[in-house]
Amino acid sequence: MDLMSKFTISASMLLTGFVIVFAVLFFLIFLIWLMGKVVTGAQNKAASRKAAKVAKEAQESTYKQPEKAAQPKLEAVKAVNPDGVSDELVAVISAAVYGMYGSSEKVKIKSIKKSKSRSAWANAGVLNNTRPF
Amino acid sequence: MEIIQNFWDALVGIFTGSGLVSLDWRNYIMIAVACVLFYLAIKKEFEPLLLLPIAFGMLLVNLYPDIMAAPETTLMSAEECIKAKGSTAGYATTILNGVEYYNVPHYGGLFYYLYQGVKLGIYPPLIFLGVGAMTDFGPLIANPKSFILGAAAQIGIFITFIGAIFLGFTSAQAGATGIIGGADGPTAIYVTTKLAPELLGSIAIAAYSYMALVPIIQPPIMRALTTKKERAVVMEQLRPVSKLEKIIFPITIVIVISILLPDAAPLVGMLMFGNLLKESGVCERLSKTAQNELMNIITIFLGTTVGATATGANFLSASTIKIIALGLIAFAMGSAFGVLFGKIMYKLTGGKVNPLIGSAGVSAVPMAARVSQRVGQEENPGNFLLMHAMGPNVAGVIGSAVAAGVLLNVLA
Repeated sequence: MDLMSKFTISASMLLTGFVIVFAVLFFLIFLIWLMGKVVTGAQNKAASRKAAKVAKEAQESTYKQPEKAAQPKLEAVKAVNPDGVSDELVAVISAAVYGMYGSSEKVKIKSIKKSKSRSAWANAGVLNNTRPF
Repeated sequence: MEIIQNFWDALVGIFTGSGLVSLDWRNYIMIAVACVLFYLAIKKEFEPLLLLPIAFGMLLVNLYPDIMAAPETTLMSAEECIKAKGSTAGYATTILNGVEYYNVPHYGGLFYYLYQGVKLGIYPPLIFLGVGAMTDFGPLIANPKSFILGAAAQIGIFITFIGAIFLGFTSAQAGATGIIGGADGPTAIYVTTKLAPELLGSIAIAAYSYMALVPIIQPPIMRALTTKKERAVVMEQLRPVSKLEKIIFPITIVIVISILLPDAAPLVGMLMFGNLLKESGVCERLSKTAQNELMNIITIFLGTTVGATATGANFLSASTIKIIALGLIAFAMGSAFGVLFGKIMYKLTGGKVNPLIGSAGVSAVPMAARVSQRVGQEENPGNFLLMHAMGPNVAGVIGSAVAAGVLLNVLA
């Protein structure tokens, strides 16, 4: 192979490889982005439809039931749940506290709040768990 | 007296058939190389799952070269055949110049048969099946821009191709050498068996060695190309990816790539099939088999037989030294271009992308992503780049399969 043909084949392979690899992967970026938009949009729509249905059912049941029965339940949840923490999470934390102390000690959960940032202890924990990586 | 003569003849026969007579100095050098690889695999734990079988295959073939011998048939006259074998054993006959000869078969060595899986391009796609079943493409789906970094890291392949051409390799050999830059063992083996099977031993060993050396090769390049401020960038948490997206992803990728680049279909197809087994959630048994038993069996066959191609006569040549040097350049270039494109993304996003994740674009899953995590944490111990780096990392696997498709299409 002479110098000129070496140069020609090198340049054409570099150009072909560069253009095709980037073109295919850019096309995939577009497709995956589009897929994300469509799927997320459809799922959000389905979720909001479901939420609206649940809200409607709850509203209907509130009208049907006496007001006195509904109010204390809402207040109880609100008292423990002022920070947007889900009921399930409250139940899990309460169960964990109960599991730790049992019924022998009188323990009261006054509030459960979401932490705005990761604490030093949590950071140390994550660091410890990801150290092998 | 006859007993002693028989005993002496037996001793002479064993000695002349032993490695002490049949092996040459190159075999002994390769045995030493295999021992170095044992040390790296066992003591240093450099890719031991692959390096150990490769080293053992290399050791065995240099101790007993016939383990890779191809089957053959020799012609023997009836008289010779009966003298040698005691009977004609129903062998097929061939008549030459009016004389009847028996076709006496000689079976190939163990590794010859196992090697057919490499030679026929069967093992690498099966390895990809297991890799697909183990890979979570979630980070890539959450941030599809990672594909840019996966593509950038493939530039090293094509630049190394130029170097190989100017070092005197043919274009097919240059393509096989360049693919080392993809840092993907099965892809390198697949491409080499199609383009330059004579270089398989050197290329496979170079590819796996550099993959094992990712934690040593990449960090200096990453530090040299980035500033302290860039390395300390904390990236935003990735959005959660739904199960539906994870199911659609492998199907979309296999359709697109197989239509655009059919040569990449065996690799990408099996990768995505493995991933679909995992993500569908309805084939747990198959997914587990692909991830564990099948993957382990193929790894043993692939490793030992690839190692067995590295005989002294094949491996100890000037082309091996060139391949090892070019492989290092390919690997370093891939890492550097990944980081440089990461820097471009850093600028374009106003500092939201940490350029360190770019080096993970050179496949080598998940080692390259771990390196990004480690180098990032050196600057900021509270920074967790691992999941962000997994995006370019798995994009690199797809990118190197696409690059392999281009090379096969143009050069095969």
